[in-house]
This record gives sequence, C-alpha cells and structure tokens, in this order.
Amino acid sequence: MKTETTAKYVLRLALTLLIITSVVAVALAGVNAITAPKIAQLNAEKTQQAIEAVLPGGFDTEITDFTDDTGLVSKVYAGENGYAFEVTPSGFDNTITMMVGVDLEGKVLGISIVSHTETSGLGAVAAASTAAGEAFRGQFVGKSGSVSVTKDGGDVDALTGATITSRAVCSGVNAALACAGNLG
Amino acid sequence: MNFKRQFREGLLTKNPVTVQLLGMCSTLAITTSLFNGIGMGLAVTAILTCSNILIAALRNFIPSQIRIAAYITIIAGFVTVVDLLLKAFIPALSQSLGVFIPLIVVNCIILGRAEGFASKNTVLASAVDGICQGIGYTLALVIMCVIRELLGSGTFGGGLLNGGEGIRLIPSQFPAMQMVMPVGGFLTLGFVIAGSQWLMKHLDIKNKKKEAAK
Repeated sequence: MKTETTAKYVLRLALTLLIITSVVAVALAGVNAITAPKIAQLNAEKTQQAIEAVLPGGFDTEITDFTDDTGLVSKVYAGENGYAFEVTPSGFDNTITMMVGVDLEGKVLGISIVSHTETSGLGAVAAASTAAGEAFRGQFVGKSGSVSVTKDGGDVDALTGATITSRAVCSGVNAALACAGNLG
Repeated sequence: MNFKRQFREGLLTKNPVTVQLLGMCSTLAITTSLFNGIGMGLAVTAILTCSNILIAALRNFIPSQIRIAAYITIIAGFVTVVDLLLKAFIPALSQSLGVFIPLIVVNCIILGRAEGFASKNTVLASAVDGICQGIGYTLALVIMCVIRELLGSGTFGGGLLNGGEGIRLIPSQFPAMQMVMPVGGFLTLGFVIAGSQWLMKHLDIKNKKKEAAK
C-alpha cells in the first residue's frame, strides 16, 4: 500500500481525529452534566449514612482546626457521643475513603467504608455488607491506641487474600485514633 | 450476513473468552460472584455493540493510519458514559466492579472486534456481532462465576439473590478460598476452555454422523 505524505493528507488525518475527539468530548460533557448532580447527591447521602453508622446520635458540627500528623484525616465531625473521622488511607490500587467513629474516651465506635476501588471479591469484602465484611469491620470496635493485623503483630485478622487492604484499614483507624488523641 | 452463524460463533466456535482468549484480565479478576459476572457481561455487551455500530458507520470516514487512535477514542467515550451512568443509577454494581469498568477501555475484545469485524462490515452485521460476542463473553463469565463462587464461597447468586448473601449450598467451613483467588481463576478458566473444546468436538462428530446418515 502506498502511503501519502503530502501536507494535505496529514492535515486530513489530524482534522478527522480532531472531529472525532470533539464529538466524543461534547457527548461526555452532556452525560456528565446529567449524572454529576446525581452522583454528588449519592455521595453526600453515603457520607451522611457512614457518619450515622459509626457515631450514634449523629454529628452536630464539623471541626476544621484539627491536628493530624498522618496526613490521612480529611474531615472531622463532632457529635455528643464522640467524633467521626473521614480518613483516606492508600489501599491496593487507590485510596480508600472511610469513616471511623471514636468515642470521647478514645475507643473506636465503629468503622464504615464510604468508597474504594479494592479488588472485587478480595479487598472489596472489607466494604461489603456481608457477614464476612461485618465481621472484619466489627473487629475494630472498642480498640484504642493503635491497631495492626496479626501478620504485623497486632490482633486484627486480615481479610483472606487482602492483607494490603486490611493494613490500609488499620492505618486509617490509627490515623483517626491519633487525631482523636490530639483533640483531647 | 448469516446471523445464525454469527450467533453460533459468538457463543461457542469463536467465543471471545474460550477461543479468542480476549479480555482475560477482567475475566480472571471479576468472576467471583454471579452479580459481577452478569453486570460486567452486560456492560461489555452494551459498549461493544455501541462501539461496533459507530465504528462500522464511520469505517469509510476514518483513514487507516489513525484508525487505532480513533477507535480507542470512541471506545473510551462509551466506557466513560457507562461508568458515569452506573455510578449514578446502579451504585452497588459500580462499587462492586470498581476499577474494572474504566478498564473496559483496554479490554481487547472491544478493540479486537472493532479492528477485526466492525471496520470491514456493515452497521447491521456489526451490531449483531457486538450482541453475539457480548452474549458469548457474558456466558463464559457467568459459567466461571458460578463455578468459582460455588467452590470458593459455597454460595450461588452472590450479590444478587438472598439480599446479597447468595444462596448457601456448601456450609461455610468447607469452601476452598483459593477458588476466588487468582489461582482459582486460572484453574477455572482452563477447565472452561477444555469444556468448550470438548463440546465443539462433540458437536462436530455429531454433525458429521448426521451428514453420513444422509
């Protein structure tokens, strides 16, 4: 096959690609405009639910002047029974966003995973509403100080095949506990 | 175009998973529960059909030097649309499949069918090809899901039936966890490919006998 290399032909190639990408971009912008509010609303609902799940009685205020040495705490909510920390530890291939409830004595009230991209069937179990997922998250309730998986000398049983995810969840809980300690 | 033959090819003789061995990454990774298999299968079928139609419609407009770039742009566009729609309307599925939805962009089934079929055939034939190949992919995923879920978690229909828990068929202390891990994926895939090869040979022999009887 003879390949044309004239300026006109090269220009045609570029223009064709430009047209295709522009059309795709416009179509995506349209779909995004429709779905973005819906996705934002779902995320807000999820955050609200996650806070209520880990902090009985819900929250009254959001604290903005917290001290966080780990860099993992993104938001802190305060309620009459304690605090809810939104932490974002690094999971297997992306950050996990999770909510950790800590009572006024520095004990974990509960954890809840807001969003993640862990491997389906392995790390994703940490967030699943199945018996295995609930058992995993239940281990953290009542813990204080610092937590780690059994492989690292702690007493949290890691999820089978998902040590990285389990470690990430532990580091998230530790960040929340440390931050709670700083709040006093 | 022979639609019956296309259907047969998609389902068995040119099944994207068991014969063409395309899209292995998602096949091995997500086939751990029935919900995942059906969801992934339908998502790929929808994207494959849409991209096949569009690429077939544009086949005389896209110069061959830039065809791969053009195809990938079109495919990525459809994948992003499906990703956004899933996030907005079926968040449970989007959560469960996680990163594998965006990764459909590089699923070679779609680029493979674009290059191998849609770029040389009419819009209608390409649409049928997309649906048939999609069904073949879904079927292979569902078979793998059922086997791995049963042996690995001891349940059937996880994420879908019985409030997401699935129906327990084997008491929870017996299933082999390895079956939902990567090693189980490879083992199951091997057996499924062997099974489909056996079935093809079996049908071949049967057809030949039929012809001989005539």
